[in-house]
Amino acid sequence: MSLLRLRSWNLSVKFALTITAVVAGVAFTIGAAIVAQDWHRFRVELEERALLLAQSVAVTAPVDILRTDYWGLYKSLKRMSKRASSRVVDTRVLTAMILDTKGNILAHLQPAAQPLGHRFVPANELERKLFEDAQAARTSTVLSGGGGEDGFLEGVVPVLSDEKVLGVVRVRLSTYGLFVKTQRSAYVVLGLTFAMVVFGSLLGAFVSRRMTKPLTAMTEGMEAVSRGELFNIAPVPVTDDDELGRLASTFNKMAVAMAEKSMLEEQMAVSEKLIALGRITAGVAHEVNNPLAGLLNCIDTLKKHPDDPELINRYLPLLDKGLHRIGDIVQGLLVELRVEEATETSDPSCLEELKGLVEAEINGRAITFIWENNLGEDVRINAKRVQQIVHNLLKNAAQVLPDGGTMSFRSFQEGDSMTLVVDDDGPGIPLEHRSQLFDPFFTTKATGTGLGLWIVYRLVQSMRGVIKVESEVGQGTCFQVTLPSGDLENRS
Amino acid sequence: MLRSIVCALVLVGLLGPAKAEHMGSGEHIRFGLTAVVVRENLRFLDQWAEYLGDKMGRPVEFIRRRSYREVMDMLDSGALDFAWICGFPYVQKREPEFLKLLAVPIYKGEPLYHSYIIVHADSPYRSLDDLRGKVFAYSDPESNSGFLYPQYLLTKRGEKSETYFHQTFFTFNHAETIEAVAEQVADGGAVDSYIWEYISATMPSITNKTRIIRRSPTFGFPPLVSRVGINEDLEEHMRAVLTEMHADPEGRPFLSGLKLDEFRVLPPALFDNIREMADRVRSVQPSLAKATKDDKGG
Repeated sequence: MSLLRLRSWNLSVKFALTITAVVAGVAFTIGAAIVAQDWHRFRVELEERALLLAQSVAVTAPVDILRTDYWGLYKSLKRMSKRASSRVVDTRVLTAMILDTKGNILAHLQPAAQPLGHRFVPANELERKLFEDAQAARTSTVLSGGGGEDGFLEGVVPVLSDEKVLGVVRVRLSTYGLFVKTQRSAYVVLGLTFAMVVFGSLLGAFVSRRMTKPLTAMTEGMEAVSRGELFNIAPVPVTDDDELGRLASTFNKMAVAMAEKSMLEEQMAVSEKLIALGRITAGVAHEVNNPLAGLLNCIDTLKKHPDDPELINRYLPLLDKGLHRIGDIVQGLLVELRVEEATETSDPSCLEELKGLVEAEINGRAITFIWENNLGEDVRINAKRVQQIVHNLLKNAAQVLPDGGTMSFRSFQEGDSMTLVVDDDGPGIPLEHRSQLFDPFFTTKATGTGLGLWIVYRLVQSMRGVIKVESEVGQGTCFQVTLPSGDLENRS
Repeated sequence: MLRSIVCALVLVGLLGPAKAEHMGSGEHIRFGLTAVVVRENLRFLDQWAEYLGDKMGRPVEFIRRRSYREVMDMLDSGALDFAWICGFPYVQKREPEFLKLLAVPIYKGEPLYHSYIIVHADSPYRSLDDLRGKVFAYSDPESNSGFLYPQYLLTKRGEKSETYFHQTFFTFNHAETIEAVAEQVADGGAVDSYIWEYISATMPSITNKTRIIRRSPTFGFPPLVSRVGINEDLEEHMRAVLTEMHADPEGRPFLSGLKLDEFRVLPPALFDNIREMADRVRSVQPSLAKATKDDKGG
């Protein structure tokens, strides 16, 4: 969830955050390295100091030890401790002691706790370990223990007289000063990191704003394109000649090209309409003119021979047929016009009315008719138009089917669209007719007007649908109409 | 053992030039000082030496050594003419005797002082009995108040220092014995009452950390001595200068600086009780410090 949200963040935010993170990371890493190095250097210095202090005692100790001058040993520890604390650098002697080889105390800075002449008593496990390590030391060694405020390190120097070990000097220095010093530099590093983060985020915000500005403008432009407002796209300002600049200028060119294309398309649509209109007009003229010439001939002949009953008997049916044909054509065009303007919507049950009409068309012939309307009650359809489409397709199927044939209507919903399928196992459409299938006035039937499928095509197109034909000669034909479901009114 | 060797070496180094310098008039009068004198202030000692030099008509030089032994050896060898020592080395039997009593300081009206047995103020110890098995600090192996008196106390009980205490050590300085007890390096210590009172008056923060659990009977105050064989006029002159200091306006400040009343000539019998103590201790502890030449090696 949070990842999804992260992905939907603005590029400007992500970019600024990335720069901030990088700056903070670099500042912190360098700072941490410096702190670690400081800590190490200070520690080495402190270790050296502890050894030096222990050595300063160990140098004079042999004489005092051999003389059993315990006061002298104690004073040398005191002097050393005083010298250490009077230094400019913060060195605190936590404790110091001189022990003999058996671990007896020859001198201790805290004599009340560790009395002279007694065996050294380690206070805890750590002290016991340090005690053993110190007693075992034969060369100058640094031991350490504790941490934070209680941290310390110990300079351990054996007291030697003519290579004989007389005892050991232990000087324990607090590492608290070191800890405080390191802590202080850590705070400085944290402060600097914070400052860098603030600086980095400001810089990041500035840079990313600059970089994403053309992107934002382009996105707005794209959104306008997707809304179809091709003429409302404001040109994206081109500032730099980098990738983004080039992208912006390309986008601008594209926007102009699209606007031009869209204009051309509109012009083309207008001219296509005009062409279609011309073709219809020509078709109507031709279709009407053909019978009209014959009809006029008949009327002329009848005028010349008004009393010839044979001619009347012969020509009247011809006149009737010719006029009916003209009437059918005009009727077909009217139907197309009427239906194309229909906006009334209804639920899919309106399609049920078609069943009776188709059965009338079958007229008792031996044809199997399957009806399967699967559209839900909530689907709204343009009743007149869809009725007209389905009726025309079913009527065609009924007309071409021989006795014993099967035809079916099936409708179903699929996502945002609904599909209407009209299937038959009739003779099929010959290949050479397929390209003219939806042309007006194209017909293979003796009494057809050639307007049925043209009307279907026009209606499907007006609803932004798709019509598909699958046909094989001798096997049958299947028309499949897919219409976007939903608010069909606005789509007309 | 090693200490004696080191002392001997120091001695050898000093003997030659000291003896050569001793010849002829106008040379320095060498005055040895021990831990008996509390003043660590070199300027004070310089001014006092200058005062004595003016009075003597010859320069006086104070020579300070850490232990009584060193000062005694220097007296014996003739490297010193006078010295301010302790009653214990004074009463030691010497063959032949090389010391003469020059004068005795008068402290609070009397030529007397005590030995104090002190413990830390916070400690529970009430008497020497409580210090059995503890750490004890002595001043100097030839100090009366800082060594002989506690030895005497132990001898009376039939005890010996080495077995009675868990550990002992010498500080060679009364002031440092007080410090050792104050800092709890030692559980108990024996000090000169004069030094303890002096520090109590000048630096009470140190003595406040100590508590006196025993005061000894009075002893003769650490005396000023002259070497046998020194020019008698010189000796008399010095005695006169010292004993008249309290009457001299220029000399008084030095006495008050030392918190003393005057220097007075007194009979040697003043130190008899110290001698008796030393004899008693030596009867069970023959190794007790003897400042004789044949004793030096051991």
